[in-house]
Amino acid sequence: MIMEELIENLKKQIIEALNLEDLAPEEIDADAPLFGDAGLGLDSIDALELILILERDYGIKVAPGEGKEVFKSVKTIADYITAHRQ
Amino acid sequence: MRKKVYIAYDCIVSALGRGTEANVRAISGGVSGVSRYDDGPLASAVPDGALMCGMIPEAVASELREELGSGWTRTELLAVAAVDGLCEPKGNGFSSAGNAGGNAFGGGNARRAFILSTTKGNVDLLEDYIMSGGRDAQESVLPEDAFLAETAKKIASRYGLENDCYVISNACISGVSALVFAKRLIEDGRYDEAIVAGVDTLSPFIVSGFASFRSLSAEMCRPYDASRCGLNLGEAAGAVLLTSEPCDAAVVLCGGAISDDANHISGPSRTGDALYFAIRDSMEDAGVGNDDISFINLHGTATAYNDEMESKAVALAGLSDKPVQSFKPYIGHTLGASGVVETILCTRELLCGSVWGTPGFEEPGTPMPLNVSKEACHAEMRFCIKTASGFGGCNAAVVLGLQPFVKECPDVETADVEIIRKVHLDNSDAVACGAGNDFGAYIRMKYKELGISNMKFYKMDDLSKLGYVASHLLVDGTGFGPEEMAVILQNRSASLDTDIRHQENISCGPGASPAVFVYTLPNVASGEISISLGIKGENTFFISGEYGREEIIRYARSVMSRTKARYCIAGWLEFLGGRFEASLELLERKFT
Repeated sequence: MIMEELIENLKKQIIEALNLEDLAPEEIDADAPLFGDAGLGLDSIDALELILILERDYGIKVAPGEGKEVFKSVKTIADYITAHRQ
Repeated sequence: MRKKVYIAYDCIVSALGRGTEANVRAISGGVSGVSRYDDGPLASAVPDGALMCGMIPEAVASELREELGSGWTRTELLAVAAVDGLCEPKGNGFSSAGNAGGNAFGGGNARRAFILSTTKGNVDLLEDYIMSGGRDAQESVLPEDAFLAETAKKIASRYGLENDCYVISNACISGVSALVFAKRLIEDGRYDEAIVAGVDTLSPFIVSGFASFRSLSAEMCRPYDASRCGLNLGEAAGAVLLTSEPCDAAVVLCGGAISDDANHISGPSRTGDALYFAIRDSMEDAGVGNDDISFINLHGTATAYNDEMESKAVALAGLSDKPVQSFKPYIGHTLGASGVVETILCTRELLCGSVWGTPGFEEPGTPMPLNVSKEACHAEMRFCIKTASGFGGCNAAVVLGLQPFVKECPDVETADVEIIRKVHLDNSDAVACGAGNDFGAYIRMKYKELGISNMKFYKMDDLSKLGYVASHLLVDGTGFGPEEMAVILQNRSASLDTDIRHQENISCGPGASPAVFVYTLPNVASGEISISLGIKGENTFFISGEYGREEIIRYARSVMSRTKARYCIAGWLEFLGGRFEASLELLERKFT
C-alpha cells in the first residue's frame, strides 16, 4: 500500500472508530497533533481505540511505552505501520 | 435530633462463600477468593485467554439453584441469597447486631424500602438476544429481565416490597450511593427501614470491556504497590437491613456524601479533590473529626490512576496517617456489589478491633503517602470511612460508627426549593424540527444551536448527547460554583442502547471497543454533563419502569437540604432504539 493510500485509510478508520462524524478525512491534517488541545483533542480512550486499529487491521502490536511517539499524528502512525508491517 | 440509622442485619455471598461469617473467617485468615481461569466463556472473552477473578464457587451456585428454584437468573440468585440471608438466625458473637425478634422480616408495622444497587444486572441476557438476531430481527424481543427495574421488582416482590422498590445504577459507587440514599430516606421519615442489596456477576460482556481498557491484571492485584498493574474483577451480592428502630445493633451508618470530579469519563481526577469532598462531607454529616477516624477502607482497585487519585484525596483530607486498606485482593472488584459488601466487612472490623491487611502490598507506589499494610493491625475502633470511585467521575463515602461513640446530630432542615427552568426534548420535537426519526440529525442540529465547539460531543453515545444538549439548554447562563450543582437523573433502560452495541461488537463484530464500552453505564451521561458544565456536586442515577417525577424532585430536595448544592438538574433521561425523552428541571434553593 502506498503512503497516501495508507494515510487516507487511517483517517477514515480514525473517524469511524472515534465517532468523529462531523469531520471529513480531508479536514484532518496528517501532520497535526492528534492529542492535546491543539489537535483533534483525543484522549486516553481514543488511544486504546488506535491501539486496536493497529492490532486488528494491521496486525501490529504497539510496544508499551511507544504509544506516545507512535500516535503523535496520522503520519507518525503511517510511518510506524510501514516500518513494522511484515 | 436526627434519627440514627442502624445496620441491623447483613449478608455477603462472594467468591469466599455464602454468609458474612464465612467471608470474615476467610479474610481475617488471609485467604483470597481470586483465582486464575484459563477455561470457559470468561477466559475466551479476553485476548490473553486467561484471567484472574473472584467467581462464585460452582458448589455455592448450584446449591442456590437447588434451594431457590429455576425461576431466577444467576444475578438474581445471588441477590436473593443475600437478602434471604438477612433472615438467618445469627449464632455467634458478631451477629448480636440483630434487633429483637431474630428475623429481619419479623413483621411489625415498619415501612420498608427495597433498594437494588447494580451496574449491569442481567446484562448477560443480551447474548441470546443478539444471537437470535438482535435489533434487526422482528421476532427477537429484548428480555424483560434486561431492564434493571424489572429485575429489582421481581426480587422485591419476594419480600412484598415491589411497590417500594428503587434501583441505583451509578457505576462502581452504586453500593455506597444506595446506602447514602437509604440513610436519607430513613432520616427524612419516608421509611423506617430499608433493605439495600448490591449485586453484580461476571459475564463476557463485562470482562471483555475491562480487557479492552487494558485495566485487568494478569496476576493477583496489588493495591497501592509500586508494581501494581491493574485490577481483578469479582462477582458478589451483599445485603443489609438498615433500621431507625432503636436496637442493640452495634454499628451505625452515621454519615454519607457523593460527589463528581468533572474530569474525564474513565480517568479519575488528577488532584483527588472530588473524593476528598465526599470524605469531608460524609464526616461533616456524621459530626466527626479526623481524630475520630480509626481507619479508611478505600476503593483500592490497583489500577495506576485510581490508587494515585485516592492517595491525593486522603492527603487533602489530612488523613494520611490513618490505616487504609483495600478488599480487592480478597474478592476482586465486585462492581455494583462492592460498596455494600465492603461496608459490611468494615462493620466486622470495627467490631473485632482489627484492620485487615492488603495482600500484595510491598512497596509504596502512590504519589502521596498512605498508611497501608499487607498484614492486619489492631486499632482502637470508633469510626471508619468507606469510599468508592467510578466511571463518570463519581465518588462516594460513608462513615460507620460504633454505637456508643455516635454523635447526636440535629435534624436536617428541609430546604425551600423552586423549579426555575424546564427542558423537554423527545421524538415529537424531532419531528416538529423536521428531523423526523433521525435522532443523529436532530441532536446535531440542537447541538449546533448551542453555539459550543466541543469535539468530544461527537464521540458520546446517544444517551449522553441527549443529556448534554438538554442540560446545556437548561442551565444556560446560570452561575454556580463546582460544588453548588447536583445531577439527579432517572430512566428506564439505563445504558441498554449502548449495551446492545457492545454485545454486538463482542458477539458478532470486531470485538470490544473501549469507546463504546465506556458508555455502558447510565451515569456516564451524568458524568459528561458534569464535565462540560463543571459540576462537582452529587451525581445519582436511578432506574425505574416509568418516570417517578415526584420521587426524583423529592430526593433532589433532600440532597439540596444537606449539601452545598444550591442548584440541581433533576429529571428523566431515556434513550433506547431511537425512542428518546429528556425531561429535565432546574431546581434552585431559596434562602430566606
